[in-house]
Amino acid sequence: MNEVKLTQLGIKDSRDLLNKKEISATELTNAYIQNIEESSELNAFIEKTFDKALMQASKADKIIGTDSQKSLCGIPLGIKDLFCCKNVKTQAASVILENFIPPYESTVTQKLWDEQAIMLGKLNMDEFAMGSSNETSTYGPVINPWKSTGSHDSLTPGGSSGGSSAAVAANLCTGATGTDTGGSIRQPASFTGTVGLKPTYGRCSRWGIIAFASSFDQAGPITKNVTDSAIMLKAMSGFDPLDSTSAKIDVPDYEQELEKDIKGIRVGLAKEYRLQNSDSEANRKLEKAIKILKDMGAEIVEVSLPHTEYALPTYYVLAPAEASSNLARYDGVRYGHRANLDTNDSILELYEKTRSEGFGTEVKRRILIGTYVLSSGYYDAYYKRAQKVRSLIKNDFDEVFKKVDIILTPTTPTSAFPLGSKGKQDPVEMYMNDIFTVPANLAGLPALSLPVGLDELGLPLGVQLIGNNWQEPLLLNTAFNLENTLAFENNPKKWWA
Amino acid sequence: MEIDTETVLKIARLSRIKINDSESADIQKDLNRIVEFVKKLGEIDIDRIDEFNFGKTNIEDMRKDNVTIYDNTYDILKNTKNKNQDFFTVPKIVE
Repeated sequence: MNEVKLTQLGIKDSRDLLNKKEISATELTNAYIQNIEESSELNAFIEKTFDKALMQASKADKIIGTDSQKSLCGIPLGIKDLFCCKNVKTQAASVILENFIPPYESTVTQKLWDEQAIMLGKLNMDEFAMGSSNETSTYGPVINPWKSTGSHDSLTPGGSSGGSSAAVAANLCTGATGTDTGGSIRQPASFTGTVGLKPTYGRCSRWGIIAFASSFDQAGPITKNVTDSAIMLKAMSGFDPLDSTSAKIDVPDYEQELEKDIKGIRVGLAKEYRLQNSDSEANRKLEKAIKILKDMGAEIVEVSLPHTEYALPTYYVLAPAEASSNLARYDGVRYGHRANLDTNDSILELYEKTRSEGFGTEVKRRILIGTYVLSSGYYDAYYKRAQKVRSLIKNDFDEVFKKVDIILTPTTPTSAFPLGSKGKQDPVEMYMNDIFTVPANLAGLPALSLPVGLDELGLPLGVQLIGNNWQEPLLLNTAFNLENTLAFENNPKKWWA
Repeated sequence: MEIDTETVLKIARLSRIKINDSESADIQKDLNRIVEFVKKLGEIDIDRIDEFNFGKTNIEDMRKDNVTIYDNTYDILKNTKNKNQDFFTVPKIVE
C-alpha cells in the first residue's frame, strides 16, 4: 500500500488492516517514522523513541491474530511531554526538568502499552501546559500544519497540547494523548481539524502526569475522528489506586455506543456562548451543526448559564494557586536544572536561582499570581471567593442539565491565529482564548471538540459538546452522528516535506 | 495599582524565585493586569455560597497507607550530578 495513504488512516482503519493482515505493524510504524523524520519544520516531536517503537511493532506483529491481542495492538501513538514515561526523557517542555528521565511510567501511558500500542515519541507542548499557543515551550513553538488560504504565515496549533494536535493533523501518528486543564485538548483540536476529548474529572488517572492544577487536570485523546476517540478513551480510562481522585466507575465500551440513534436528545444552546460576529463563517458552521442535529430528531433548547462571564477570572485565580503549590517541588535538589552557585551561596540561593533560570516567563507569572492569591491578607478576597464562584458555575450546569442532555457551543472564539500575534503586551489577551472551554474544567464535566468545516480563511473550526458527568458515551454518540453528515476532511496541504 | 514593588519582591521571595531589577517592572505590570482582570469576581454576592468541592471522598475507597520498600536508589540518583554516595548534596545548611 502507498505509504502516504497508510498514515492518513486513523486508529480504527489501521486496526482493521492490521487484523486482516493487509499491513504489518512494522510497516505502519515505519511509515509514521518516515513522516516524523520529514516533519522537523513542524517541531511537534521533541523526543523520538523509534527503536522502542520498532521493537513494540515487531512484538505486535507476532501477537496480531492470536488470543493475546489487545485493543490497540500495533497502533503507533504520540505522547504529550507531560506524561512521565519510564526511561524516556520527560521535561514538560521546561528547562527546570532538563534531561529528567522518569524511573516510572504514568498510569495512562501504561494502560496504552498494556493494550499493546506503539510509542513513537514525546510531543511538544506549552511549558507545564501553561499556554494557549504552544509559544511557552522551551523547544520553541509547534507550527500548525494548516495555513490560511494564500498565506505563508506560521499559525499556532493551539495549546497546550499543540504538538499532539499538529502531529495528528499532519499524519505523524494515528492518535495522541493530551491533557486539558482549561481547554488544552479542545482548543488545539479545534485549531487543527482534529477531535479532542476532555473526559469527566476522575475518568483518567492523573498519576505520573506532571501536575499543573490538580482539581482541573484531565488526560484525554486527540484523534483524527470520533471512532478513534472512543477507542483511545476506553484504553486510557479507569480507576487507579494511585490517584484518589480517579473514579471507581466502570468504563463503558464507547465504540459500541457510537451508532445509536440520537432522536429525541435535548441539545442546549447557551446565550452566553454566542459568537460576537453572527455574520461569520464560524457562526454559519455552528448553525449548520444545529440544523443537522434537528434533522436527526434532536430537540433544540435555549438555555442560560448566567455565571459564564466569571469563569475565566475564577480559573485565573484557582489554577495559578494550585500551580504555585504543585510547582514548589522544583527546587534543583534532586533532578532537572540546578543553577551554578557562588561559593558562599546558601540553600535559599540554590532554590531562588534555580527556579529563576528554570521557569519561563508565563510559568513564573502564574506561580507569582498563585502565591499572591493564597498569601495572608488576600486569601479570602481571591482564593476563597473564587472557590465559591466555582460552585455557582457548577450549579449553573446542574440546572441546565435538568432541561437538556448536551450543550452545544463554539470551541473557540476564532480559528488558529498567527504565532507571535497575541499576548505580548497583555497576558490576559491570550487567556481570553479559553473563554468557551474553561467552564467545563471548572465544573469537572466532559467536553469534546469536533471539526465542523473551514472558515473564510480556509482554517478548521470546531464545535464543542459539553455533557453531564460520565456522559462520554452520549458525547461520542452525538459527535459521531454529526461527523457522518459533516464529512469534514482533515487534509492540510503538505508544505513541510 | 494593588501590587507595588515591595509586594512583587515579597511574593517572589515566598515563591523562591529570584527577580532581577530589570524584570521587576514588567512583572509588576503583568501581575496588576491579572489582578484587575480577576477583580470582576468582586461583583458577586457570595455570602451564602459554599466553596466548591467534587463531593465527599469515601474513606473505604482509599487505598491503605501501607509501607512499601523502594530500594532502587540508583534510578533516583541518576537524575542528578549533585550526589555523594546515596545522598543528594546541597550547600551547607548548618553553621
